[in-house]
Amino acid sequence: MTVLENPPLALYVHFPWCVRKCPYCDFNSYTLRGPLAEDAYLAALRADLEAQAIEASGREVISIFLGGGTPSLFSPRAIGEVLMMARERLRLAAGLEVTLEANPGTIERGRFAEYRAAGITRVSLGAQSFDAGRLAVLGRIHSPDETRRAAEELHAAGLGNFNLDLMYGLPGQDAAGAVRDIESALALAPAHLSHYQLTLEPGTQFAGRPPALPEEEQIERMLAACGERLAAEGLEQYEVSAYARPGRQCRHNLNYWRFGDYLGIGAGAHGKLTRAQAGQVLRSAQPREPRRYLACAAEGAAARQAVPAEQLPFEFMLNALRLREGFEPALFSRRTGLPWESLARPLGELMARELIVGDGVRYRASPLGWRFLNELLLSFLPETRESVG
Amino acid sequence: MRLIRNFCIIAHVDHGKSTLADRFIQLCRGLEEREMQSQVLDSMDLERERGITIKAQSVTLYYDAQDGQRYQLNMIDTPGHVDFSYEVSRSLAACDGALLVVDASQGVEAQSVANCYTAIEQGLEVVPVINKIDLPSADPERVMREIEEIIGIEARDALRVSAKTGEGVGALLEALIRRIPAPRGDPEAPLQALIIDSWFDNYVGVVSLVRVVNGSVASGEKIRVVSTGRAHTVDRLGRFTPKPIVEQRLSAGDVGFIVAGIKEIDGAPVGDTITLENRPAPTALPGFRQIKPRVFAGLFPVNSEDYESFRDALAKLRLNDSALHYEPEVSGALGFGFRCGFLGLLHMDIVQERLEREYHLDLVTSAPTVVYEVARTDGEVEYIDNPSKLPPLNQIEQIREPIIIANILVPPDHVGAVLKLCTDKRGAQKKMQYLGTQVSLQYELPLAEVVLDFFDRLKSVSRGYASFDYEFSHFQPAPLVKLDILINGERVDALSIIVHRDSAYQRGRELVDKMQELIPRQMFEVAVQAAIGSAVIARATVKALRKNVLAKCYGGDVSRKRKLLEKQKEGKKRMKQVGRVEIPQEAFLAVLKVGRK
Repeated sequence: MTVLENPPLALYVHFPWCVRKCPYCDFNSYTLRGPLAEDAYLAALRADLEAQAIEASGREVISIFLGGGTPSLFSPRAIGEVLMMARERLRLAAGLEVTLEANPGTIERGRFAEYRAAGITRVSLGAQSFDAGRLAVLGRIHSPDETRRAAEELHAAGLGNFNLDLMYGLPGQDAAGAVRDIESALALAPAHLSHYQLTLEPGTQFAGRPPALPEEEQIERMLAACGERLAAEGLEQYEVSAYARPGRQCRHNLNYWRFGDYLGIGAGAHGKLTRAQAGQVLRSAQPREPRRYLACAAEGAAARQAVPAEQLPFEFMLNALRLREGFEPALFSRRTGLPWESLARPLGELMARELIVGDGVRYRASPLGWRFLNELLLSFLPETRESVG
Repeated sequence: MRLIRNFCIIAHVDHGKSTLADRFIQLCRGLEEREMQSQVLDSMDLERERGITIKAQSVTLYYDAQDGQRYQLNMIDTPGHVDFSYEVSRSLAACDGALLVVDASQGVEAQSVANCYTAIEQGLEVVPVINKIDLPSADPERVMREIEEIIGIEARDALRVSAKTGEGVGALLEALIRRIPAPRGDPEAPLQALIIDSWFDNYVGVVSLVRVVNGSVASGEKIRVVSTGRAHTVDRLGRFTPKPIVEQRLSAGDVGFIVAGIKEIDGAPVGDTITLENRPAPTALPGFRQIKPRVFAGLFPVNSEDYESFRDALAKLRLNDSALHYEPEVSGALGFGFRCGFLGLLHMDIVQERLEREYHLDLVTSAPTVVYEVARTDGEVEYIDNPSKLPPLNQIEQIREPIIIANILVPPDHVGAVLKLCTDKRGAQKKMQYLGTQVSLQYELPLAEVVLDFFDRLKSVSRGYASFDYEFSHFQPAPLVKLDILINGERVDALSIIVHRDSAYQRGRELVDKMQELIPRQMFEVAVQAAIGSAVIARATVKALRKNVLAKCYGGDVSRKRKLLEKQKEGKKRMKQVGRVEIPQEAFLAVLKVGRK
């Protein structure tokens, strides 16, 4: 008998504006034109949260993530107010993780201390590279020195639990260059490092005018060299692109990857909510465009739609296979309500191809499978048949 | 019956056939509109018959001649490409005369010559017409001489017209009723109606276009299809004007359509005879010469679930395309499909396009091939239409390839280029003759070289001025070899081709390079080899993909990643699996493209 359980719940808050939209970015973000309408956006977030908090029906929230866009464009006062709302409307776990995404180019002296005072416990800093030329190609507004200063500020403010976002596979970069970036990052003693390959996403400036990217073999060499360096420094790769010191994994992201629930408030924010009693997993999405979001937020929560059962294995795997730890069969059943046997066919096939390894207790992508995750995921997509005629 | 004229127009593709036909319809329109009004009211369910209008292949016009009589002109369509000469003979069987339309500046071209001979053989009265006399470059005198010299028919009183301006078209209609004889036949005799064409309409079943030779048939009567022996009741019959107009009766000399509730696809084969059930004719009419397909290719549905609908679609197409042959084929690489026989590459393209457009099928085609005659060492002779069916080398005594006789007409300026092309294509010259302003060439050419791209090349080296027509001649021994493509060591049957030994290395190299370009990088290295027997003559490698991972789902938004992967999966479905290697459909078509430039 498989029983769907309500998994841990997190809260995601989206802040859609940036000083300038980066040419590679396909997130829901917009170049800020004119003054930032902090209060109007706060009011919309409040209405949004009030409507959604009812659906959380007293479940404990284990983490909060303030992402964007550039949330650090918002003042510590505004961020404090958002966290205050969350405290009023939701049941927050003791000692929960509260992450704020920050752009090193928007941080004035003393600001991180104020964020911390407002309730932030963890910061994710968009460093991307420590090569000024590459930062310019990426359209970043900050300099390597600004990143260094921001990291110093973080340590000084007692926010030593911070993440650095780094990209690799940049135009003109070789393995040595990528390792240099890693060295520069390590010098700032981060607790966590996210190492992303630059990919050209549809709908971005780069997709329209693609820069010359390094050869695949070159990129593979970068990844190997960087991974080695990070491991030597005690940063363990626990997900496709995430490295952390022991105990410093991002709890909020782990919740996504373990197919947990989350409320999503803010423009374009996505939510996932399990209704164990109804045997349903629901998804929601708010309007992407800030102006529309501002107009709609007062009208109440976004409509939630049940994920069809045949989609659940794919959605679970899309997340769980990214983790080095993989997953236990019991977790699959608790999160999806589906019997483990429903995976027999794709799982058997992928194990035969040695893309997934498992011992009955725990299953995960093999080193080869981890490199070809898309290939694995295709096997879990339900068969769709185009209608003919 | 003496006021009926059944005729067709023989013309090269752009010599003005349809303009002339339009002009005829326009000239006869005044009458037609008056007549139509009452008839349109009569045909109550035109809507249901919409399927019929789409494929009207004959048009009935009413012409008030100077002699004060109203004539019924049945104009029957003829296709114009070299691949379809057999269709022409089919249309001609319904006619008593033909208008030979020749462009006043371009002159006679080879296909009209061939079609004209077919018409004369079938006893039709041929009326030469020189069109486009309004053009500054028109030279009717020259064209008149060409008609006499090349075709050998009297052309002194050839009609000179401009279908575009209408000049001379009235006189042409008068000449038409004067020179083309009225149909002969006995309206009182038992019914004999020749099926010129049949097609399948989803509402009413089989629709047949017939020429009534003797007797008559009326709506509600019971007819019998001679070959099947089955009886059907005529639901409705009539003619195209070009709209379908329902009539009560078709009599000897008439050309029109019959719908008789025939639901089985092969219920009324083209060339068959229809007679009356209770008063059958003692004999069937002579049908058409059965045309043998010359080019074969395997067609396979991309989705194996489409196999059944694919078979249905082929059966429906075959109904009015008797040159289309098919039988089931199983390919290691492409799965279950059909080996199809065509008249030429154009025919193949058209059939494939109709299958995809009209029947919504996604198809992969294997390399087209001609039929080879293979003498085995044990003395047996086989006809091979599929390279993968070629016996092992040690069992082959000799391979003989089909040779055609090509008749080419080309202006003297371009003779050099055409001679070179024919030599390149392994041709042997049989005849060369200067006729007026054109040179007539006769060559023996291997059909395999002709089906590949001869027609396109001929047009390009002669700037469009050369024309040609061909007929099968004989089989002739040639040093031919089978070229196989191996992917990761596995022979891909659908990619095998039979080639001349001298071009095997080049074709092998080109094919392997093309495959390397078209096969996407996979999780492992893919080796592509070209081989003759066990000897590898060319190889290339598709490097392994290093990795294939999406960025994380930012903010828990799974929908975009899902869409991306769903698209990838759709793309993969269109690939064919050979061993573990996924091969896109374009790779199978590449065989067609190499060596074709």
